[in-house]
Amino acid sequence: MRKLLVAISVALISSRGGAQGALSLQGLGYPSGGFSARAEATGGGLADFDALSLVNPATLAGVGSPALFFQYSPEFRRVTAGSSSAKTTTARFPLVVGVLPMGQQWTLGLSSSSFLDRSSETSLIRRQVVGGSTDTVNVTERSRVLGAINDVRLALAWARSPVFKIGVGAHVFAGSNRIAFAQLFPDSARYISTSQSGRLSFAGFAGSLGIEYHPSRAIGFALAGRKGGNLTAQSGDTTVGSARLPDHYSASVIFEGIPGASISARVAHDAWSSLESLSSSNTRAFDGWDTGVGAEAPGPRIMQRLITLRAGARFRTLPFGFNGEKVSETSFTAGLGAPLARDRASFDFSIQRANRSTGGDVKERGIILSFGLRVSP
Amino acid sequence: MLCPPIGGDVQNITLDAVVIDTTIQSVAGLGSEPTLLLASRGDTLDTRVIIRFDSLPSTFIPTGDTSQAITSVDSAYIQLRVDTLTVNGTGPFTIEAYDVDTTATDTATAAVIALFRPDRLISSQVLARSDLKDTTRYFISNQAVLAKLQSGARLRVGLRVAGPASSQIRISSAERGAPPVLFFRATPDTATKPLSVQPLSKTPADDPIVARQLTDYTIIVKGPPRAPLSLLSVGGLPSRRVYFRFDIPLNITDSTTVVRATLLLNQLSNPAIDPTDTVAIVPELVLAGRAVTDPAKASEITAAITGDTLRVRPGDSGLTGVELARAFSIWRQQKPDTLPRAIVLRTLDEGNSPLEVWFSTISDVNPAVRPRLRISYTSRVPLRVP
Repeated sequence: MRKLLVAISVALISSRGGAQGALSLQGLGYPSGGFSARAEATGGGLADFDALSLVNPATLAGVGSPALFFQYSPEFRRVTAGSSSAKTTTARFPLVVGVLPMGQQWTLGLSSSSFLDRSSETSLIRRQVVGGSTDTVNVTERSRVLGAINDVRLALAWARSPVFKIGVGAHVFAGSNRIAFAQLFPDSARYISTSQSGRLSFAGFAGSLGIEYHPSRAIGFALAGRKGGNLTAQSGDTTVGSARLPDHYSASVIFEGIPGASISARVAHDAWSSLESLSSSNTRAFDGWDTGVGAEAPGPRIMQRLITLRAGARFRTLPFGFNGEKVSETSFTAGLGAPLARDRASFDFSIQRANRSTGGDVKERGIILSFGLRVSP
Repeated sequence: MLCPPIGGDVQNITLDAVVIDTTIQSVAGLGSEPTLLLASRGDTLDTRVIIRFDSLPSTFIPTGDTSQAITSVDSAYIQLRVDTLTVNGTGPFTIEAYDVDTTATDTATAAVIALFRPDRLISSQVLARSDLKDTTRYFISNQAVLAKLQSGARLRVGLRVAGPASSQIRISSAERGAPPVLFFRATPDTATKPLSVQPLSKTPADDPIVARQLTDYTIIVKGPPRAPLSLLSVGGLPSRRVYFRFDIPLNITDSTTVVRATLLLNQLSNPAIDPTDTVAIVPELVLAGRAVTDPAKASEITAAITGDTLRVRPGDSGLTGVELARAFSIWRQQKPDTLPRAIVLRTLDEGNSPLEVWFSTISDVNPAVRPRLRISYTSRVPLRVP
């Protein structure tokens, strides 16, 4: 996934924690979740039934036609600590999906999503004694990380009828963090600014299995799981850490008793603590629950197109803590979907308002906009 | 927000890292100075300016006529480019010109100085302070110029500022691109333009580089008192430099990042001449390898390092510092065997100013005033998994 970091957070205070300047960017980064814009708009409730989300490989079955899907998701954050605040922006391309039906019953899918996105840039001004005891100077420490661990999945799904679908996925977790650190001094005639750069590469494997069962037209159930293998981190050709990829389990239910509409709910568990052994700075990782509920209903017709409206809510624990405390995230979501080109394409949009906190006086608010485009060639 | 310090604190240490410090004579060469110093400072300083016109025209072309032999000289003067901002003294300035042509060796300044005697006097002119402008005309004897050009002889003029008042004038030299130029009229007819003669030295004939430098130069008749041998001195006339060699622990240059380095010096008051004027001192990196063991020679093989200029007054005393961080960034890339850790201190006005600054040496009985090196460094940050 290509990341573009747009803004800089100027540090006004310093506090012990990770190297990142936001609650959501602690540790190895922010888990964007692998949800499509449609699933995000329903608080994740639809994710286990959505072929364009990466949580349940069974959903690929019955897609019907080949499809390509791209998603762009910028996030606008505001972090508040006491009376200080800072604004940052991160632009992500968190999801690319390709689906290829192979006959009536089999469907192949290849997709890539951001698993943990660590893109961040921080700037901290420190007063330092450089030289004599009275020679104090402001040193600007600038730390920049670009990159993410990505989840690349090759999935195969089977369905004889819409009642039951099953799918398996093979995951490769790969990616890198490009790290740059600089200490900048104000007077180049007297001081020499320093800079360092490095690259951490990650590689790991996992397997996933999912089923989707619709005993009637009105209700459906889905179960999905991913078993993590080893994840190693390397700097150059040196292994600097290893851990188990977190296991992930989810269960969902959907009610489709109202024509054209659906209400869905999902609960998932991620064993993020298995990543703790990868950390070199004792950053704590917490196992967490991820729950969401949402609804989707037909809306108005605009330009002869039926607009689908969506809304939802989501509560989850983020993987990495701040100052040893869990970071929780509560999101309220909304969105819409519109068919394009006589249903050969579709556009989905979602907006999430996420509030993150540790229970202390540090709070973070994120507005995430997601734009998804599906095309059936 | 929420970003903790990643880099460690800056560490500051002061080392007795100077292993050699010595004052050396700058051997830039007679005539290589960018400005000519014409000074008479009582018992303290006496310098003269020599300008060589070794080729004078014998013919001229009047307006509307053909070439004719020069039979008269009128309005002869030497145009001087004066640095009016550095004129010392209130005037009036009596400037005397002497015929200093001699067959003595070109670099034998004593022989030239001996020619500043009454029978060699060409002319004398009194200039008020207000007469010293960026372009100043110094009129010399028409007869002297005519005699030289008619006999095919060289005109070598020695300028001296005379009088009881303290005087110091800086004149641009050929090395700066604006040499003194001789002008005269070969005919009273003002319709014919004056002739101009650029300075030229035909000797030494076997060394054109030295000959070019000797088109105009300064000779020092009397310089300011030398610094005591127990001190380091920078500047003065003849100009001096200070050579420092350091022994810096490898763990600092190799394993850390030096963000600031300061050579701490104890300045001693030098009240001899203009003690309250400012002297700009710059460090230069010595590029001479270990094969060059003579500090005097090594100090001539240097490179400028962009850094802070130390500005001090000769009459001041106390602790001062020369910033050397740029030198460390170069030393980091070269091993001490290849590039000795050495610098040279020199003045920006080297060879053009009598001002001299004195410092204590590593041989001083008081350890507190010896030169030391203060280094501020940070350790490299491990860029790892957070």
